[in-house]
This record gives sequence, structure tokens and C-alpha cells, in this order.
Amino acid sequence: MQVVCCLFMAVGCHTGNCIHGSRSRQFEHSPDPEIKMSTFCSLSFSLSFGIQDDHRLSTSELERKYGTSISEGLSSAKAAEILVRDGPNLLTPPKATPEIVKFLKQMIGGFSILLWIGVVFSWISFGIQLAQGAESPFDNLYLGVVLALVVILTGIFAYYQEAKSTNIMASFSKMIPQQALVIRDGEKKELPADQLVVGDVVEIKGGDKIPADIRLIFAQGCKVDNSSLTGESEPQSRSCDFTHENPLETRNIAFYSTTCVEGTATGIVINTGDRTIIGRIASLTSGVGNEKTPIAIEIEHFVYLVAGVAVSIGVLFFIISVSMRYKILDSIIFLIGIIVANVPEGLLATVTVSLSLTAKRMAKKNCLVKNLEAVETLGSTSIICSDKTGTLTQNRMTVAHLWFDNQIYSADTSEDQTTQPFDQSSPSWTALSKIVTLCNRAEFRPGQENLPIMKRVVVGDASETALLKFAEVILGDVMNIRAQKKKVAEIPFNSTNKFQLSIHETDDPNDKRFLLVMKGAPERILERCSTIMINGKEEPLDSEKAEAFQTAYMELGGMGERVLGFCHLYLPENEFPDTYLFDTDSMNFPTSNLCFVGLLSMIDPPRSTVPDAVSKCRSAGIKVIMVTGDHPITAKAIAKSVGIISATSETVEDIAKRLNIPVEQVNRREATAAVVNGMELKDMSSQQLDEILCNHSEIVFARTSPQQKLIIVEGCQRQGAVVAVTGDGVNDSPALKKADIGIAMGIAGSDAAKNAADMVLLDDNFASIVTGVEEGRLIFDNLKKTIAYTLTKNIAELCPFLIYIITSIPLPIGTITILFIDLGTDIIPSVALAYEKAESDIMNRRPRNKRKDRLVNEQLAVYSYLQIGALASFVTYFTVYAEQGFLPSTLLGVRVNWENNAINDFEDSYGQEWTKYQRTYLQWTGYTAFFVSITIQQVADLIIRKTRRNSIFQQGHNTIRQYFLLNSVWNRLIQFIHSSPSARFQYWFVAVPFAILIWVYDEVRKLFIRRYPGSK
Amino acid sequence: MATLNEKKTCSERMENFRRFVWNPETKLFMGRTLINWVWISLYYLAFYVVMSGLFALSIYCLMRTVNPYEPDYQDQLKSPGVTLRPDVYGDRGLQIYYNVSDNKTWEGLVTTLQTFLTAYTPAAQHLNINCTSDTYFFQDAFDGPNKTKLSCKFTSDMLQNCSGITDPTFGFPEGNPCFIIKMNRVSTSSREACSLLYKQGDEPRLLEVDYYPVNGTFNLHYFPYYGKKSQPSYSNPLVAVKFLNITRNVEHRIVCKVIGAGITFDNVHDPYEGKVEFKFKIED
Repeated sequence: MQVVCCLFMAVGCHTGNCIHGSRSRQFEHSPDPEIKMSTFCSLSFSLSFGIQDDHRLSTSELERKYGTSISEGLSSAKAAEILVRDGPNLLTPPKATPEIVKFLKQMIGGFSILLWIGVVFSWISFGIQLAQGAESPFDNLYLGVVLALVVILTGIFAYYQEAKSTNIMASFSKMIPQQALVIRDGEKKELPADQLVVGDVVEIKGGDKIPADIRLIFAQGCKVDNSSLTGESEPQSRSCDFTHENPLETRNIAFYSTTCVEGTATGIVINTGDRTIIGRIASLTSGVGNEKTPIAIEIEHFVYLVAGVAVSIGVLFFIISVSMRYKILDSIIFLIGIIVANVPEGLLATVTVSLSLTAKRMAKKNCLVKNLEAVETLGSTSIICSDKTGTLTQNRMTVAHLWFDNQIYSADTSEDQTTQPFDQSSPSWTALSKIVTLCNRAEFRPGQENLPIMKRVVVGDASETALLKFAEVILGDVMNIRAQKKKVAEIPFNSTNKFQLSIHETDDPNDKRFLLVMKGAPERILERCSTIMINGKEEPLDSEKAEAFQTAYMELGGMGERVLGFCHLYLPENEFPDTYLFDTDSMNFPTSNLCFVGLLSMIDPPRSTVPDAVSKCRSAGIKVIMVTGDHPITAKAIAKSVGIISATSETVEDIAKRLNIPVEQVNRREATAAVVNGMELKDMSSQQLDEILCNHSEIVFARTSPQQKLIIVEGCQRQGAVVAVTGDGVNDSPALKKADIGIAMGIAGSDAAKNAADMVLLDDNFASIVTGVEEGRLIFDNLKKTIAYTLTKNIAELCPFLIYIITSIPLPIGTITILFIDLGTDIIPSVALAYEKAESDIMNRRPRNKRKDRLVNEQLAVYSYLQIGALASFVTYFTVYAEQGFLPSTLLGVRVNWENNAINDFEDSYGQEWTKYQRTYLQWTGYTAFFVSITIQQVADLIIRKTRRNSIFQQGHNTIRQYFLLNSVWNRLIQFIHSSPSARFQYWFVAVPFAILIWVYDEVRKLFIRRYPGSK
Repeated sequence: MATLNEKKTCSERMENFRRFVWNPETKLFMGRTLINWVWISLYYLAFYVVMSGLFALSIYCLMRTVNPYEPDYQDQLKSPGVTLRPDVYGDRGLQIYYNVSDNKTWEGLVTTLQTFLTAYTPAAQHLNINCTSDTYFFQDAFDGPNKTKLSCKFTSDMLQNCSGITDPTFGFPEGNPCFIIKMNRVSTSSREACSLLYKQGDEPRLLEVDYYPVNGTFNLHYFPYYGKKSQPSYSNPLVAVKFLNITRNVEHRIVCKVIGAGITFDNVHDPYEGKVEFKFKIED
């Protein structure tokens, strides 16, 4: 319902007629949830409202409205007044959950609930027993206390872990306090940006971050990068003209947090802090609900399962004990005892420790996990909606291809290029390289000589930067070359000419000619040429050569690359002597009949690690969808080069082109790939979107708006997929929040995105996600092992109690001893299981189906609960008692007398008489022996749980060593606590044959599983 | 996730559950086909039969290896326990309170003693032999009937004034009650003659008592004990204590220690090891 509604609203937004301030206000404050749901879609309604007028007002009206003066600015007094009224110009950080709430959340989620129930029950039991005057009620009290401690300590640990990642996050957002150049009291002042108020007059220049929403009143060559707000990757030019009704589209408003790329501007602050556009988007994010992580769902499921088993067994034995004529109160204590015994005390700690260990490991691999549970989510991801720019690509233009001498050459586009491999012997290349070098205004910032060329900072736009670096790599010191060929005149690029031109002296003292170099849009450049250079010789540009040019141009353009044409002309010495004065306004030099030299095409190339990562995703059954604001052709080209669209697959359009039929006639099912334009998307119903998502395995969404990103995520989630979304801009944050796992970029990402995300990629690299997926899957597998391990032992611990009730033998193992196993000897091996290496197929199987592949399925539970009993422990138990004087036959039914304090001459099988204390002492020895044999069996259990399919011989066994070591330590401790004589050493060996048996049995079982996979 | 988290109504849940129990399309009963269930049940049946067999085998082996005459170890029976008759337990151990003038308060105690001593009538002891030597009664061979060993007779008349024969009320109405001290049987333990020490309050003080048999000793010929199988008719030797001149209406805390080789009474945890502690009060 929600989704459909939202989509329609979004469609509504885009079809225009939406500037209704009053209506949007209604939306913002409406308590009606239906309307609230659509708040996000009505983004542009509500956003329009606050600045609706300002872009239409004239300068003087603005001055009046804000009580300011363009020349004088606000007075300090007035500014201070407004500052008090409006508050500082800061985005309120998303309503941080109070630390105490975060802490308490750790205490009551998932497993903790189970343990708390255990605590309550033990204390109830303690109360009953105390009232009854039973002999040792304190066991239950201690049990309760220990359980509570476990929950609290684990909670603290998990809280600490998350706090730590939050701190790392915080360190990112701590940027240098932003400064703004403000006119106040008629003076220009540098002020911290958070001191800005509405009405302030600010000056901005290229490189500045816009300090607030400002209405421009003066601009010169000003361009802003709105990508963090709208996702448009091209810088937008800004002027003081009112160009559009929609304040988001008009040119005379610059938005908070965007960057001024070049030029200068002056403007009046019209919105500050949370009232800015970006502030509103950021606050919208909190409206998107937080979904439960898959692992949380799994753990819930597990808790239900354990609770179900516990209650069933408890009730069953309650009935049995009542019908065996136990007292009702005793039966209730048994019931509680059974329920508490079912609680896997150590599991909470194990799971938390395992998750945080993995989180730590991932942090080393540049994935910072904000929420521990998100570690696993990545593993179950089935769709990744990835951004293009910066994540898949290097986020910088690079020269990819060259065309000269009628031939296309490819250039190296990798991140760390130091040379270019293509053939550079042709004299045409020499000519071309001169143009590339000279007709270029970009410059390296000084003082970076030691840096690799690709890492140097350049002042200039993206294409010029690309050309500069390209030239620097091939020719060496470009700045020096330029210095030798002095520039005498220059016409910078502008949108009317679509070319850039400069005139230089040559460095050859004998050659007094001037060299005119020009670059620009290829078709425009070609128009101005009459000759073309082939192998260094000028040849007339006939139609055949023009055809060749067209083909090359189309080919490069078809690869999504930005193509530039280059031409030159040596000005004749007689007409242009070295004293000639060039005038760029009147253009007193030829700009036609030039010599065409070549084409260069540029692209933001994919990161070199990405294709491999995408193919890994693919083999792991994860669908990678590209969602970008970029042009479809570029998007498709990048998608192809990184493998999101594989080499063999075709889109509907490709098929149409190949078969030479109209697009409508193509069977849409034949096309595996799809490139969906944002324009098409906005006219689609959700069914159509679902259809696309279902039918095509390779999808690229191009020209999408941020809102559409959210719709795409929802569409994927409708398919039942676990969706990971990457993003960096503020506009991405709702989608990041909506996704099952939001992944923000650590370097390029905005704070809002990082706040909304569950995970932060510290290196912005898509390949890191794959590592994350692997770790996530591994932790799921390993948790499965851990749980199987724990459950198996659980039944071995529960059995004695059940048998105690039914056959009235002395209690084989005490509560405290069980705690020693669960929280002592078994913690390390459980955690060690979480360290298990991946089984080889981990990245070659499909992501788990979250409805079918559960953490704990019935089979695992049945297997754990039924198959490996407490057999060996009971044999050990009977051995101990028999060798000390009580043969098994004597033991049956002795419970009442055995536990009677008033019987101090209790007779055993040999006629010996025992005092109560001596019996209790024997019972404790029994505990120790039982404990020892459980731990021995756990070794076997550990071995068999290490792998799910593979034989142990295919895996290592260092965990087992640790287990032995730890065991003996704990064993000493438990004896010390009970002050019992050590269980005789031979009792250690009673369980060994059984342990071996368990292992052999399981190896055989695994053999069958390997032989006959798929059967139950 | 939207679909997964949809709140299911109760009827849907029931329907889902019903479908889980019997799915008519796939013919799955509780997630398995019937034939599959049969197989899995058979498997587990066989599994448990094997497991039980294993368990039985283990217990059988165990029974074969344990010594039928004497237990293999006596880790917990280093020193025998001592018990008292009559044995009335209060919240904190033995408490024997009675009122001389109210015979209801002591009749139960007397009955306990009488019942206890029925095992020591000459008839009950007829299988045992009379022993006269004052040394350990070691037996290596099985001299008794049915491959058993002999046991020495202990009859209640050896307790003289506390035998219940001369005084069926064991001195309770007079305020000079008899108590019987019994030492637990512990296999293969050699014990020495014992005397009893009494203690009141924190300062140990011997009370004015009569012991039966004289000196309050367990005669050595009752030891060692060779176990139930060897000495089926063995009965523990007893010592009776008759209190004389007991201050009335005062609670006496009394410790009765057995002193002898191999008997320790300093285990703080066990009030009945090598000694017996009790509270005692006679009211008017």
C-alpha cells in the first residue's frame, strides 16, 4: 500500500504542477499517516515553500524583506538578534537516540529477552524454594544473578563496540570549521559559517562550499556542483537571473552544502540550518523506518524455537512429574528448572563477540560497520544498487582513447598509470601532443612534484585536468613545455563557440611562426578545418576522410566517452610577424581552414578492482544494479566495462537494432539487460517496475533522481530481495535508510549519508563490498555452527535433569556446573567456530533465501536435540557412583532419601553407610565427572561442527587445541570452587570412546551428505 | 522487506499452520511426505535402539568391572559417620527436647529406641557368632555359610541399663535418658576402641554420664567390615550413653566424638563425620 501510494505521488511530482505552498505545509504537519507517507514524494512541494518567493524578488525587494543592505550587510547587532531567533546555521544532527536508550536496547533485544526470562524464572524458583525451606535454594539465586550479569556485560560490550565505530565516524565528520566571507556593518569579515543568519550578504568563490541557501545577487562565471543534492554530475551554472518557477531549478539560488566549482558570486542568505533544502532532506531521512536486520529476524526465530522447545519439554515434564505424584510446588520448580536449562546462556555472548570480531576484521578491510548486526546483512544481500560515480568509477576524467592517423588508440586508464603504451612514433601524435599541452588552462598546484601524477591536485575543470595529466604522463614536465612556448593570446572555452583557442610562440628559435592551437566539440572543430594530418602530413579533408572522422567520432561517443577534437595552424610568418598584436575580441587571426589533427576521448574510468568484484558478485548470485544520475550511454558503457552488463547480453534496443525491427516488436523477455532512463521510470507503475526487475538480470538505471532511487530500492524489496544500497550524497540518505543495508562512502560521502547508512566504505571502493559480502556469509555459516554446537550441548545438560525427575537418581549435574560449561569452557570454542575459515564454495552459491535458509532450521534443531545425547556423560556418572559404592540399581528412586538431611546413615550397595555431607560430596564429584565428560564430548562436537559438509581432514584443527587447554584450566577451577577431590583421572577417559563414536558417526553422515546432496 | 514484515492476521497464521500440518498440494505432512516420515522415524528408532544398546553394553561392562565385595574407592568415606538414636532433626541438625512431666513428648523417642533395638534381639542376631577376643577380627577366608564371612554378635542386653529390657522407658521419665550412638559401617576400615567426649558450650567439659558397654568403647572384634555381600548379617556395634544429673530447662549443645585410628572429626562441613553433634534439653 505504502509503496504504491508513494510511487504515484512521485509521478505526480514529476509531472509538474506542484508548487503549492499551502498544500505542502499541510503535508508537513499532517498527522494523517497516509499523507505523511507521501511526504518524501512531495519533496519538491514542501521544499519549494520556504524559498518560494525569494528567487522572483528583485534585489531591492530582497533587501526590504530581510532588512539588509547589499553594500553594508546586516549590522552585527541585528545579526546577533536573528542568530538568537533562528539558532546557528547548522544541521541538527539526526535525533540521536539517547545513549541510555541505545544501551538499554542492547540489553533487551533478541537473545537477551530469553536470558531475562531465565533470570526471572530462576528468582521465582529461588523464592519458592526459600519459602519452602529447601536446603540449597541459593543455586537458583546465583543462576539468576549470573544470567543477569551475562546480559548486562554482553550489553555493555556490544554498546562499547558500536560506540567505537560511531567514534570513528565522528572523526570523519570533524572537518575544519567552515568559514564564510560575510559583509557586516559594511565590512568584509571572515566568520564561521555557523554564525550566518538570514539576510547576511556573503561572497563565494570557486572552491568554496556554499555556507547556506543563498539567493544570488551578483555572479560571474559561477558554477556549482549540485551532485550531493540532486545527483547531477555536471556543474550547473549560476547567475542572478530568475530562470525557472521552481526554486530548485532556477539559476539564482545556490544551495547549502553544494560547492562552488568556479567563478565568484555574492548572495543574500535566505535559509539557514535545518530550514535549508539539504536540512529538509536530512530530516526526511528520519521518517524512513528502520527495518529489522536479517540476523535480528533469524535470532528472533531462534528464540521462538528455543522457547518453544523449552516450554514444550517443561510442560511435558510438569505433567509427568505431577502424575508421578511429586508435589505441585516441586513440579513447578522442575518446570522452571527445565525452562531455564534450555536457555543457552553462552550464546548471547558468543554471537556478540563473533559479530564484533567480524566487524573488526571488516574494518581492517575498509568496511566500517556501524551496527553490529549489519555485518551479517551484507552476507545475505541479493541485490546491490550501486552508484556509479566514485564507487564503480575512479571519479575523475581520464583520457581513454585517441584517434589520429585514421586509427583509434586506447590509452591506459588505470589508477596508477605511469606510462602510456600506445604507439607514439607518428609525427601526428607529436602535433596532437602539442595541442593537448598548450591548449589547456589547467595547472598543477605547486609543491606536488613528489606525488604520483595521478594523485596531484589540479586547478581546472575535469576534462582539462584529464588532458593535463595525460600529457604529463607521456611528455613529462608540461609546465616547462608551456613556459618555453609562450602563450600570446587565448580564447577560453565558452558555450557559444564551443571551442578553446590559444596562440603560442614556438620554442625553435629559427622558426618565427606562431602556432595556433584549438580544441573543442569535434564537429565544430571539423567545420573549421580544411586539411587533416595523416602521418604528419597535411592532406586535404575530403569526404572520405570526413567519413572516417564521423565513424571514429560515433564509435568513441558510443562508448559513452566525452570526445574532443584538436586542430592547429602554423600562422604564416609574413602575415603574423613576432611583433603582431593578437586581439581575441576582434579575432584578428584565422579560425578556419585549420588542420585537423585528432580526437581524444575521455571517460571516468571504472576502478580497476571493480570488474573482478562484479564478477564475484555475479558468481555469488548477487544482482548488481547500477543507479546513476548520469547519461544512459555513459552509464551503459561503464556498466559494460565493469561487467554489470555482460559482453554477450543485449538490451531491447540492441536487439531491435540487430534485427532491424522497431523496439516495440522485440520480445522483452529475450533481452537480459535493460537500461532504464529516469524519464521512463517516472511514467512506470510499480507493476511495470517489478516486471523489469524480474525479467532482466542486468539493469542500469540512468538519469535517475534521488526519489527514484528510493522507488527502485522499494521495488527490489518487493521481490523479496535483501538490498544493499551505496550512496554518498545527502539525496541518497533516504534510500540508504530504506535499504536493508545502506553503504555510505567514507571519502566522498556526506555526513547525512553516513548517518543514514549501516556501513561505511572507508576507501569508497566497490570491491570492499564484496569482501564484506564474503565476511557476512562467513559469519552466518559460522554462527550456524556455533548454534549447532551450543544446542547439542544444551540437550546434554538438560537430559540429566529430566532423568533426575523421572528416575529419581541423585542429580547428575548441578546448575552452577552447567554455568561453568556454558560461560566457561564453551565460550572460547564457540568463538573459535566463528573464526572458522570459509568453506570453499562460500562465494559461489546463491545468497541465502531469507525465508527458507534460516539460521536455525528445524532440521538443525532436531539433529542437535535428538542425535547426540548425554550418553557418555551418564556412563561416566554411573561409573563414578558404582566405583564409590552405589551401583546403578541402587541409585534408581533414591532421590527423596538421598536428599534428606535427617538421614546420616544412608546405605549403599555394599552396606556402607553415608552421612548427608558425604553423599553430597559424592554428588559433587559426580558433577565434576559429568562436566568432564561433557567437555570431552564437546571436543568431538567441536570437530564435527567445524565443517558442515567437508570432512575434518579437509580442515585444520587449531581450535581444538585451545579447547583442551582451556578445559583443564576450568576443570581445576571448578574443583576448587566445589572443593571436591579431583575426579579421578580415569574418569576423563570414560567419555573418550563415545566422543570418537560421535565423530565417526558424523563423518559417515557427512559422507552421505556429500554423496547424496539434497536429500533430507 | 515490506512483504516479509507484513503483519499476519491470526487466521492467516492458523491457515499457514494448517498448511504446515497438511499441505494437500505437495502432500507434505509437517514438512515431509508420509513415506519420508516413516523413514525418518525408522531411522531414529534404529538410532535410539543402537544408542540404548550401547548404553546397556556400557553399564554391563561397568558392572563386570566393579568389585562385588568392596567398592573400588572410598574417596568420600575417609572417616565413618556417627549417628544418634533417637534422631529428631530440627532446622539445624539434631534436636532432642522433651518434657519429663508430659509423656507425649518422650514416648516417641522411646519408641524410636525400641524399634531401633529390635535388630539387636538375640533372635535377630542368631546368625552371628559370639566373639570374645579384644582384637581385630580379620578373616581372609569365607568361613560362613554360602561363601560369606562371619560377623560378631551384638545384642541389646550388652547395653545393660539402656537396653530397654530392665527399663523400657530408657530413663526418660526420670530425666536420665539413654541415647544410643552408632558408628556408620564403612568397608574395610579398621577401628580402634573409642571413648566419647562431651562438650557443653564453648568450653569442652566432660559430662556426668554412664556408658554401656563400659568405657563406651566399640569392641575391636566388630572390625573390619567386609561389606554386605561378605557379611550379610553384620550389625553395627553400639554404645549407649545415660545422662546423669542433667540441668533441666537448659539447652545443652553436646558433641559426641569417636576417637580412634583413622577417624577424624575435624571436618567443618560435616557435623556427623567422626562425631555427632546435637542439642538436648529436658524440661520440667
